[in-house]
Amino acid sequence: MSRRLVHVGIAFLVIYGLLFFRLEMVQVVNAKNLRNHPQNTREIMLDFDAPRGLIQTADGEIVAQTVAISGPRNRLRQYPYGSLYSQVVGFISAEHGGSGIERSHNGFLAGSDLSVRIQDSRDLFVDQARTGQVELSLRHDVQLVTRAAMAGHRGTVVVVEPNSGSVWGMWSNPNFDPNHLSSHDLSAAAIDFNALNTDVAQPLTNRAEYQSVEIGSLFTIVTAAAAIENNLSDFNVPATSSFPARSNFPIITNSDENECGGTIKSLMISSCRSGWATIGAEIGHGPLEAVTKRFGLLGDDPVRSENALPGTVRATGLVSSVPHAAVGTSMKLTPLQVANLFATISNGGSQMQPRLVNRVRAHDGSVIHNFGPRVVNQSVSKETAAELLGLLSENVKNGNAAGLELSDVSMGGLLASSFSESNHLWMVALAPVTRPEVIVAVLLEGDDFDDRQAAEASITGISRRITEAVLRLPSPTLGGS
Amino acid sequence: MWTVAEVNHQRIVELTLLLLAAFITLTTVAVAAVAETTDIDWVAIPYLAVLLLLWTVSHLSLRKWAPTANGLLFPISALLQGIGVAFVLRINPELLTGHLIWSAFATCGFITVIAGISDLNRLQKFQKSLGLAGLVLISIPVVMKLIDGGIGSYRSLRIGSVATHPGQLGTLCLIIFFAGWLATYRSRNTAEHLGQTEPLEGDPSRFISLIGAWLLTSITVIFQSDVSSAFVLVAIFLSMWWVAVGRPLDLAIFLAATIGSVLLALTSVPELQDRFAAWTDPWSNPQFGEVINRSTFALAGGGLTGTGPGEGSADWVVGATDQFAFIPIAEELGFIGASAILSSFLLLTGVALRLSTIARREFEGLSAIGIAIFFASQAWAPIAVALRLLPPNDISLPFISSNGSALFTCSVALALLLKISETVSPKADPTEILPRVTSESEGTP
Repeated sequence: MSRRLVHVGIAFLVIYGLLFFRLEMVQVVNAKNLRNHPQNTREIMLDFDAPRGLIQTADGEIVAQTVAISGPRNRLRQYPYGSLYSQVVGFISAEHGGSGIERSHNGFLAGSDLSVRIQDSRDLFVDQARTGQVELSLRHDVQLVTRAAMAGHRGTVVVVEPNSGSVWGMWSNPNFDPNHLSSHDLSAAAIDFNALNTDVAQPLTNRAEYQSVEIGSLFTIVTAAAAIENNLSDFNVPATSSFPARSNFPIITNSDENECGGTIKSLMISSCRSGWATIGAEIGHGPLEAVTKRFGLLGDDPVRSENALPGTVRATGLVSSVPHAAVGTSMKLTPLQVANLFATISNGGSQMQPRLVNRVRAHDGSVIHNFGPRVVNQSVSKETAAELLGLLSENVKNGNAAGLELSDVSMGGLLASSFSESNHLWMVALAPVTRPEVIVAVLLEGDDFDDRQAAEASITGISRRITEAVLRLPSPTLGGS
Repeated sequence: MWTVAEVNHQRIVELTLLLLAAFITLTTVAVAAVAETTDIDWVAIPYLAVLLLLWTVSHLSLRKWAPTANGLLFPISALLQGIGVAFVLRINPELLTGHLIWSAFATCGFITVIAGISDLNRLQKFQKSLGLAGLVLISIPVVMKLIDGGIGSYRSLRIGSVATHPGQLGTLCLIIFFAGWLATYRSRNTAEHLGQTEPLEGDPSRFISLIGAWLLTSITVIFQSDVSSAFVLVAIFLSMWWVAVGRPLDLAIFLAATIGSVLLALTSVPELQDRFAAWTDPWSNPQFGEVINRSTFALAGGGLTGTGPGEGSADWVVGATDQFAFIPIAEELGFIGASAILSSFLLLTGVALRLSTIARREFEGLSAIGIAIFFASQAWAPIAVALRLLPPNDISLPFISSNGSALFTCSVALALLLKISETVSPKADPTEILPRVTSESEGTP
């Protein structure tokens, strides 16, 4: 009897041992991953009622602030511009956590970050609420211009200053009004949150950073870079109308079945898919992959703005057939990645870390953290970058981005259309092309694309209007650099 | 009046440990009160005073009616209860009045058992009525669920404004009944073995207990979708049965049959399927999974050393004062504090299991095993749910949870354990871990 009692004792020691083991895994070993889990709303929920610093744009507009009110909860988070900044700034809610800058920079805003909490030696002894103010790189004027140009369309726009990596504009539709979610009427907030969260259009997602879309022939700029590096810039492709199918990969045809060929310059302006496929086969898989990797487009950790929250992991890679990889088959990127790619080319081949936040200030306005320009990688040489800019410039003069042309500024640009799987269009504009000061990446989704020419005209018009307006805006010194 | 020589050293050990438990409780409350996010004010003091008064009353009644009872059991339960109150005080102070009234009621039950049952073996005479009462009590939640047909196994029987969970008290009654049954079974078989009775031909009555336990478990799983309660029942039954009977083949058959019923329930009961889905992937099922995810995040937020009392996420995890009472403790006291709580439960179980080896009669020994495993499995299940070792179900943590009827049941069970330990001669007590205090020392209260 007592021997069997030992069995019972051992059995319970073992299952309690399991508890210790799991507890150790959750609380100690995996704790860091779990704290940074995208759906972990614990910390921001803890800070909902606490004092909270404001968020302002680079040109001084307040886009999120906490105001004193009377009632059981005495502080309310307000977003004066509603949906204009919703995707970037995000929201904070009592029960549904938060998103965007509100969440990724919560430590600064709520003052839990040590550098914010202890601002001078007195703070070591007096426990008082210290909060930090976050200054974005976004410009209010650029945001307004972007929203006006995109009126009535679904899609995403990212405006980047290439020399410093500052993001000047980031706007997408569908979006949401964060004031509804930060409301103290918790049941109404819950109804709104559930409606937004279950919406198939996913208005809560910041599409510019967290939604990857097939880029198609935008990828030919990377193929061109690889061609230049491998001394194939003068390689003459014989004129063909299609590139033959390979195992598991379909035939590559040109739009309207026209015959085209020539050097990469003429391939670019004629959007010659069969020609790019031939060039790709000449380059080979290894060199093409190397260039793609140096641009930071491969791997499971896509380029995001500094301190951004991690998204769901999704590995990007080149398809195994080089000709298909060269025309961008299955290559999916986020709008911010696309803007960053063209900013790298515009910045002499040196890739800058994209930034949404310029600096964090203390309560008295002094700067605690300055997120200055940071070089990630030298992706291609200056000479290669200059040649690529020449291609993009030529493409505006004679190619598929012809509609971008402005009377007094030389532009560069590239258009990608006609995707088999989904209805969307890409356009990237660079201006001025000799030494670009602004990159505008536009993704249009869900328009009526039966008439492709009308859709292309529409995205070209949007890109041109935004670029032109941003160039005319009187604030060239903003954004660091 | 007690003279120095009359005080048993077990009571002195108990008093010392009780003072330690009081110190830990008061420190926890005090640290939480200093934290900026909480607003514990002076109202807390009368509540804590009442708690300490209840401990004193229990301790004094042990001195009077059970002076030789084990001195470790009550301080462990008091420490757990004190930690529970310290957390309820901060998370939801509105529950506190009710909790303390229930604590007083539980103390009454405790003293009634200590003072009223002079000889535990007399309980064995009531075993049939206790078994019947246990069956009725344990089936109340099942019937209630069948009648209203809703989702969820955590049914409380409301009498006026008082909510009770009769299932646990039913389990305790069944433990006493089963201990009595097993003791009779063993004596019958021993008599056969010694040739004092007719041969029983392998005693077919042994299957009665197996079938009965299997039926109870299956009903709990199929009609209540409650895997945690089923685990508690199986754990208690198997422990007592294995020690008393211990046939490996029967064990295998019982386990196979139980797993069979769980599989059958899994194919036919939608609620159980939902619970299992939430167990395998908490994100897939927000109804049952959200609280699991929040528990995980809260635990991770605590880390090794915890956020400190008063700095945690409080009632963000739904049920943080009852079913998930472990979460705020582990979050605020960290892995270290959580391990201390787990160790306390292990110590409680270990002390209770050793009592069974030195009990004078088999009925008492088997009851001690049953109650020991009652505590051990009741504590294991809710923590295992939070750590995703069991499908989500609601079950209260012994002594810590702010759940009045569970506290009452646990206090009565503890009193029974103390009564069992009392019949043991103090000299033979191997559970003594503190140095014996000589009778000449200054040990008066």
